[in-house]
Formats: sequence, C-alpha cells, structure tokens
Amino acid sequence: MTSERLLDELASGLTPVRSRSAMRDGMAIAGLAAIELLLFLMLGLHRPDLPHAMGEMSFWWKLISLGLLAGVAVVTAVRSFDPSVSPMKGLRWAAWLGGVVLLTGWGIDTTHHADAPLLARLDWQAGMACLGSMVMLSLPLLIALTVLMRRGAPTDRRESALAAGLGAAAWGAFVFFFRCGHDDPLYIVFWYGSGCVLIAFAGRSLLPLVTRW
Amino acid sequence: MADEQADQWGAWMAAAQAGHGGAYRRLLGDIRIWLLRYFARRLPPGQVEDAVQETLIAIHEKRHTYDPARPFRPWLAAVARYKWIDRLRAMGRERSDELPDTIGVEGHESEVTSAVLLRDLIERLKPAQQQAIRLVKLDGFSVEEASAQTGQSPSLIKVNIHRGLKHLAAIVRDTSDEE
Repeated sequence: MTSERLLDELASGLTPVRSRSAMRDGMAIAGLAAIELLLFLMLGLHRPDLPHAMGEMSFWWKLISLGLLAGVAVVTAVRSFDPSVSPMKGLRWAAWLGGVVLLTGWGIDTTHHADAPLLARLDWQAGMACLGSMVMLSLPLLIALTVLMRRGAPTDRRESALAAGLGAAAWGAFVFFFRCGHDDPLYIVFWYGSGCVLIAFAGRSLLPLVTRW
Repeated sequence: MADEQADQWGAWMAAAQAGHGGAYRRLLGDIRIWLLRYFARRLPPGQVEDAVQETLIAIHEKRHTYDPARPFRPWLAAVARYKWIDRLRAMGRERSDELPDTIGVEGHESEVTSAVLLRDLIERLKPAQQQAIRLVKLDGFSVEEASAQTGQSPSLIKVNIHRGLKHLAAIVRDTSDEE
C-alpha cells in the first residue's frame, strides 16, 4: 500500500478519542487500591491485635515503607504509559527507597530482641503462606495496571512492566501487612522482599508480552 | 519556525482527537515527511518506507495518548524512536542471508550511506560486530561474502549481527533522542 493511500484511509475512518490522562489513570488505580483495602478490613481479615501492634516500631516501618514503595512504583508505571515519559528515574527512586527500607529494617532489627536462631526466625511455613497471600492481593492492581499499560503507549515496556509489577507487589504486601502477625524485621525483609521481587519480575517478564504495540 | 510547526501539529492532533478528519489528514501528511527524514538517517533504505508506515499506524492507534496540553514533538519523537528500536530488533531476528534484491544494486550506495546516524551508532559496537553489520546489513553482502572478507565463520557473522543489533537497540533505548 502506498503511504498516500494509507494516510487517506487513516483519516477517512477517524473516530473521536478521549485523550489519555495519567492523573485519571492514577485516580482509577488509587480507587481500586482503596476498595481492596477497605474490603479486606471490612471482612475482618486484619490481625486481631492491631491496636497493640501499632505500638511497635516495626509496624510503622512496614506501613510507611510499603506504602511509599507502592506509591512511587505505581506513579512511575502510570506516568510511563505515556510514550514520552521514561520510567527510569522513578525506578531509580524505587531502588534508592528499597535500600533505605533495608537499612532502616537492619537498624530496627538491632533493637529487636530475638533469641531464636536465624532460620527459625524466618518461619518457613508461615513465610510461604505470606508469600501466597501477597501474590493474591497484588493481582487486582497488577491486572488493572496491565489494562492501562495496554491502553497506553509505553516505549520502555520492560521497565514500565517492572514498575507496574513492583507497584502491585508492594501494594499486595501493604494490604497483607494488616493481616500478618509477624513483627520480626528479619522475617519481614526476607518474606516481603521475596514477594515483591517475585511479583515485580513476573510482571517484568509477562507484561511486555501482552502490551506490545 | 520548527516551534510554530510543532504547535500547529499539536493543534491538529488535538482536532484529530475530536474527530476532525481534515486536520488529521494534513497532520499525517506533514508527519510522513518528518518520518521519512527521521528513518532515512537511521535505517537502510529498503526499510524506510515500511518503518514510516508502521509508525503512522502506531500514531493512529495511540493518538489518544497525546496530551494536547503538552508539546507534540517529543511525543512524536518518542513513538518514532520506539519503532526504530523495534526495527533494529527485527533486523537482528531476520535471517542474515535473505536480503532484499535492491540493497546491493549499484546506485543505491548513496541511499545506503544516508543511514548516517546508524553508521555513527555502529561505531560504539565491538569491531567484529561493526564489521558484520556493516557488510551484511548496510552494504548488502551475503553472510558467506562477509565471512570471506572478515575471516569470521558464517555462524559467527550471524551471531555478531544478532548481538550487535541487540546492543544497538539497547544503546538507542538509553540515549535521549531529540530530532
């Protein structure tokens, strides 16, 4: 087909479209995330000793770390669905934040009086259950971000997918945190970290396959 | 002048988003010329027209991602660069011994060498990869001919083309590109 004919065809079949807005997409994701969290809490799935846990330093460390990480990663992902916006800066921020979270966790761990050996502190059985729950809780946001990514035009698809995966993972972990009765920083770093890495890299591997344009 | 043109393009795209076919046709006509220039500097001539058409279709399908409140040119350049990287990756996947008949024909040399930016970028690759890509992808030699000229085995030529183009795509992806 000649270019001139192609141009005629594209112009003649033109239909109005609604311009994409990152703000609108972000609000939709925030709404979905809020609904998920509210449902989780309304169904009584949170830990029964929540008021007591709020007195622990690790509680606030988990809350702030996961919330910030989810926010940075989701904003990075949604912004990068615009072809002229790169997700690299946001991912660097997320990596930096991850480092700070680990360091803070290590600092809190030094004040944590754990007598049990390292392997016992990781509590493999409960950890695997935590991992499964985090994956399930990250799915709503991961699916929503995939839909938005397909609708958008990301030009660094793997990095956008990584940001989307990380955002969904951190949010899944954030919601699960209200359920999780473990406050040991080592346990949290290991299992929450594993969950986030697993989901983020699953997103990075799978999302580019369904968002090609 | 370029800024005025870009503003005009942005206004036309905004009108196109509202369903104005006339403005869209004018915009696509102008963009086509811009894209021809863009890809002529970056791709072998046999691929330029295909790349332009692919990009025009992508622009059409993703026109809703343009935000009329922002400048049009960076949006267009980002889409074009994405399609360029796509082409480089596709070149790496293509069988290196199947080349279009026209590529080695006399008189095409000036067109081939017009992929100036591509040649500049190739300078950043390892020498063996540079040689393989130059000979097979830009100068139109067969893999066997390139093998005879360079002393690399035919399979090594193919590997170097594949790896070189993959690396090239990564370089382009990590380099900001303002046309």
